[in-house]
Amino acid sequence: MWRLLSGVFLGWSLGANDSANVFGTGVTTGIVRYRTAIVLTAIFVILGALLEGPKCMKIVGELSHILPNDAFSCALAAAITMTLMTYLAIPASASQAIIGAVIGASILSGSADFTKLYKIVACWVITPIGALVAGYTIHRVLGYVLDKTVVSLTRRSLFYSAGIIATGCYSAYSLGANNVANVTGVYVGSGMLTPETAAIVGGLSIAGGVLTYSKKVMMTVGKGIVPLDPFSALVAVLAEGIVLHLFTQIGVPVSSSQAIVGAVVGIGLVGDIQTVSGRMLAKIGLGWVLTPVLAGVMTLGFTTLLT
Amino acid sequence: MHEGIMFLEKILSHGKKERQVTEDIREHIKLLCTACEVFVTALEKQDRNLMMDVIELEREGDAVRRKVISHIYEGAFLPYLRPDLCKFVELVDEVFGLLKDTVSYYLEAGLPAKLKDDSIRVALLNQRMCEMLLITFEAMLRGEDLREKILAIRIYEKKIDDIKFNLMSDAYQVPIENFWKGKVLSDLLSSLTSISDMIEDASDHLQIIHLGTR
Repeated sequence: MWRLLSGVFLGWSLGANDSANVFGTGVTTGIVRYRTAIVLTAIFVILGALLEGPKCMKIVGELSHILPNDAFSCALAAAITMTLMTYLAIPASASQAIIGAVIGASILSGSADFTKLYKIVACWVITPIGALVAGYTIHRVLGYVLDKTVVSLTRRSLFYSAGIIATGCYSAYSLGANNVANVTGVYVGSGMLTPETAAIVGGLSIAGGVLTYSKKVMMTVGKGIVPLDPFSALVAVLAEGIVLHLFTQIGVPVSSSQAIVGAVVGIGLVGDIQTVSGRMLAKIGLGWVLTPVLAGVMTLGFTTLLT
Repeated sequence: MHEGIMFLEKILSHGKKERQVTEDIREHIKLLCTACEVFVTALEKQDRNLMMDVIELEREGDAVRRKVISHIYEGAFLPYLRPDLCKFVELVDEVFGLLKDTVSYYLEAGLPAKLKDDSIRVALLNQRMCEMLLITFEAMLRGEDLREKILAIRIYEKKIDDIKFNLMSDAYQVPIENFWKGKVLSDLLSSLTSISDMIEDASDHLQIIHLGTR
């Protein structure tokens, strides 16, 4: 059971980091208080993990034949990579870290199934692009509908308040459903846990990160997106939630950070606003390459040490 | 938990606090319209008692302003909108302040007959601008396009600028007894003709609030 600790650590760091993508804007714009936001996020992350989490568990195990020690090494390497990337302020994806780690472990065992990897990498590429398209389309369509139906200032204000909370809850649900596989998927692949038990353990560990250590990142990320108006913030979170939910149905865990950045860029295209700088995009690109490579190399090291 | 209940109350009450704030702001602008109207009558009749009524209306306006600000900070509207709404209310209050200053200068120094007609025209246009500001505010609440209304306010302001030029030319020909009399007269004309600028600023701010929610 001690091998689960690295997964719990990964879940905790994922929860601490990614909850900012859900309620960051709501909290920093004062629509919802931090305490309410983390409680809502924790509840909906657990719900998403329990109800739809097992859908993405399969693919992580299918990548390679994972032994219990490999599972421990993979989760630990992914968690350390995520922590390091967060420390260096490079946007990192837990799914890229865990897949990189699994590939690293499979190099030693020689059991990698690269046909599954193509599907996963394709989904990584499609995530920000899909979020960009979703952000742009939702902004256009919902904006048009709102201009025709919710015109008064009072109703608009109420709509945005309720909308930011509702989309935050939905996005938290999608985060739990999609990203729980990153946390405990390797244990399902190694046969240590059933998908349902893995969903419970993963969901609770993500919720633990949300509840105990998410404030700093939430404030930083939220303030970065604050220049967006409430409607754009609502659309960004909704687009992120939809993209994560869609990939959950396909069964591939993807990055919520990349989804929200894609959505923000899409919204920027509507008003021809510069929402993300070239430097920011370069950082994201660096994270894309560094995260799986670093996690893979680290797993190689841990697995060698354990065997 | 408590906050969650408050949020549900807010949704279920269909924005009671928001309605309260909009009603108070409406009352604030209406008071300003009344104050401007009373000021026009007071100028026409050279009635000092009516001028005192303008000061009384300014005090009432100040009380309404405090009420609006406190309601906004009790949680009405999105936090994102609150600073802009408060700023609008403060701008309307500054119009009240300028009107009060004008009245004070008038009570101090009076108004030379040569300047009376143009001053009344300016005061009348100020009154029209306040009425248009109320119309613009109502349109903003309904989510309507404000461009034409704001354009009307700008046209009024332009007219006042034109009159101001004549008014100042006439003022130079008014014999002045001493420095302080001249200073007070200059301040009177300055505050009377600045009211329109402040109303224009307030209307521009309505456009900012309007665009902020689109």
